[in-house]
Amino acid sequence: MRRSVSIAVLTVALATGVGTITGGQKNILASAQEKPATVEVKIDNFSFGPATLTVPVGTSVTWTNRDDIPHTVVSTDDPKSFKSKVLDTDEKFSFTFSKAGTYPYFCSIHPKMTGKVIVQ
Amino acid sequence: MQETGFLGTAAPRAADLTLLLEMGMGTGLLAGAWLARVGRIRFHAICQSVIVLLNLGLIVLTMFPAFHRQVLPKLPGRIGRPYYALAVTHASLGGVAELGGLYILLAVGTRLLPEKLRITRFRFWMRSLLLVWWSVLFLGMATYARWYMTWP
Repeated sequence: MRRSVSIAVLTVALATGVGTITGGQKNILASAQEKPATVEVKIDNFSFGPATLTVPVGTSVTWTNRDDIPHTVVSTDDPKSFKSKVLDTDEKFSFTFSKAGTYPYFCSIHPKMTGKVIVQ
Repeated sequence: MQETGFLGTAAPRAADLTLLLEMGMGTGLLAGAWLARVGRIRFHAICQSVIVLLNLGLIVLTMFPAFHRQVLPKLPGRIGRPYYALAVTHASLGGVAELGGLYILLAVGTRLLPEKLRITRFRFWMRSLLLVWWSVLFLGMATYARWYMTWP
């Protein structure tokens, strides 16, 4: 009798555990599908890092100004695909790339600062 | 896309050119003051007038647009940050210097202003303005260094 109870408890525990794990996986997959992947580019010491970035379509790129001077992030194409306001220290700018292609960009305050996002 | 500068800093070409022209104009004003001292008043008047008008052109074409684009949107909230404070001080004092220069040109070099607005102690005002102009030049160089140069 005691053995039967133990088996029953173990079975219920296993079933609950497997259910939780499966449910958790579903949640992870769902949240991955809902939110686009985010990649960060740091702006520091008058440069973008990494200067060249390769990402899949749908990726959101966030530029963060870690420098102690304002910068901007502006695409070189015309009309501009993206253009940030002037970013002070620790300010961010995000853009989601929904089409494949190569997107060169620069800082309009310091035009020597250039970067590129390759969307595949 | 703006063109890159030629002074080896992160500045755009327009900022490099403006810096060099302003330094040249500051030196030109000193030369103009020397012309007055040796009695060549006509050359003094031409020299200082050309510099004041050239400076007005530079303000309109390069300095004010950059200020409007990079600094003005952040005011007054971010005035406490050194790079904005420096740019605002330079712009304010520079505006005073340019207006002062234009006023002296009109008051001393023309008869366009009414009698009561003309300057009588013109040497005092010209020397004072030269001092203010050079202060603005140093502030401009400091602003350039803060915005476009890397510091260890």
